[in-house]
Amino acid sequence: MLEVRNLSKSFGGLTVAKDISLNIKLGERRVILGPNGAGKTTLFNLLVGELTPTSGDILIDGKSVMRLSVNERARHGLSRSYQKNNLFENLTVRENLMLAAAAGQDKTTWMMKDCFNDPAVHEIVADVAERVALADIIDKPVRSATYGNRRQLEVGLALATKPRILLMDEPTSGVGPAMIDGFHQLLQSLPRDLTIGIIEHDLDLAFDIADRITVLNFGEVVFEGTPAETRGDSTVRDIYLGDWQINA
Amino acid sequence: MFHQTHTRCIVFAISMLGLALYVILGGFFAGEIVVKIAVLAIIAISIDVVAGFGGMVSLCHGAIMGLSAYTYGVLTVKFGVPALPASIAAIGVAATFGTMIGWVTGRTSGIFFIMATLAFGQMAYTLIFKSRWLGGDDGMGGLPRFDASDFGLDMNNTVTFAFYAIAGIVVCYAAAGCVLRSAFGRTLAGIHTNEARMKAFGVNTILHRARAMGFSSLLSGVAGIIAAQHTQYISPELLFWTVSGEALIVVILGGLGTLTGPVIGAMAFVLLKHQISSLTDYWHIVIGLLLILIVVSGGRGLFGQYEHWRSTHTQKTAKTNYA
Repeated sequence: MLEVRNLSKSFGGLTVAKDISLNIKLGERRVILGPNGAGKTTLFNLLVGELTPTSGDILIDGKSVMRLSVNERARHGLSRSYQKNNLFENLTVRENLMLAAAAGQDKTTWMMKDCFNDPAVHEIVADVAERVALADIIDKPVRSATYGNRRQLEVGLALATKPRILLMDEPTSGVGPAMIDGFHQLLQSLPRDLTIGIIEHDLDLAFDIADRITVLNFGEVVFEGTPAETRGDSTVRDIYLGDWQINA
Repeated sequence: MFHQTHTRCIVFAISMLGLALYVILGGFFAGEIVVKIAVLAIIAISIDVVAGFGGMVSLCHGAIMGLSAYTYGVLTVKFGVPALPASIAAIGVAATFGTMIGWVTGRTSGIFFIMATLAFGQMAYTLIFKSRWLGGDDGMGGLPRFDASDFGLDMNNTVTFAFYAIAGIVVCYAAAGCVLRSAFGRTLAGIHTNEARMKAFGVNTILHRARAMGFSSLLSGVAGIIAAQHTQYISPELLFWTVSGEALIVVILGGLGTLTGPVIGAMAFVLLKHQISSLTDYWHIVIGLLLILIVVSGGRGLFGQYEHWRSTHTQKTAKTNYA
């Protein structure tokens, strides 16, 4: 589904991604772990085309997307949420979701018809708002929403484009336990044929939701395996988990 | 995001009625003033579409209007094409030129976009200024107006022509309102607010902005036809960058991103210009002071300030009632 071959990225003398190879299968939930500065967000930026790699290849369904722009990759079904909220602050939650849904439905060029009145767009918005628990504040302006609601909307926007591959960059960063539970439920409610990549710092959540885990350190893949294999790996424990004790 | 509020509709309708009454009661002079208002209002509407809702502050809309006027002039005067097909072709040329500028400048923003559009506009101005075939700086005369005698209308009559110009404002305003409320307009506003996110949604933002420039130029093309038919003479001055600059002043004067504001701005600008210039040659100073006052007091423009005052007043009333 999503394959990365020997991907590298350097800024001058600084290498932020080094020979990264991944193969995320259809419907797989892959968690990317790693300490701060490991290159996790850089990897996402490379995948969606916001950064151009120095070398390597990225394939979706076996076809290289390296020459495609950010919007072209999105139209191939690649969607992402951001670590720092990247919303439409002056619009309401509903309008935010409608922009995403209309774009995902390729309804952005109608000049005589309003996508905000389109039944298919409304259906997606209602579904996503329900999933990310924003239905109650759907007509509130984003600028007046709480940080937690904004994080929910961040994920909601990525979902509203109806992607085939969903990349989420620390979706639960800075939110409380109740919202982390909500996010867990959201993931469980998503269709199993949706391929998901998540950068996550909440280790309990990460181990719970992952089919496989990739650990990055200094821009390199240092480990890949199932959650059980990750728990038992001493290298991973040394570089990332430190003295963290496994509850399982 | 554009909302065609009741206030906007009512203020626009009253403005158009006011212009119509002014024409009926004011005779020849009023007719001339109203046509000037119409041309300026349509360019201002077209600039508001891209600047107010797309964040693309253009200094080439005067040139686009001039290009439309020259295409109309060449087709009618030099090739004898009837006025209606010549107008359609001229508007098409304006839209194509605008789309092309939008496509080339689509990767730029802010000051670089302004400078790029200025360069395109000035190139068009220079080409026409230097062309002897197009009359150079002498311009081109003898442009025809529409023949509406089948409908019992004499387009050479000042009042009739002024009403035709008012109809031009109404059509362009309605078209802009429809497009801004369409999926296209919503997406344009989204790109203006957060272009990176719109790209991440899969929107080709460069192409979208180019199309927006194309649509906006189409409206400027209409202004070009009215301007050319009004004086029945065209000169390169129509394309000079100060025409765009004046239209931009009108947009800010009326209220950027309100659609109704630019129409109010055009009315205020032309009327003030004529009233003050009858008293002093330094009418620019008065307009300049008014503009500074508007910018300093929040930059909402005359109509934008009125909308702001209304919304604040409504909120206060709601709070009082609630208490």
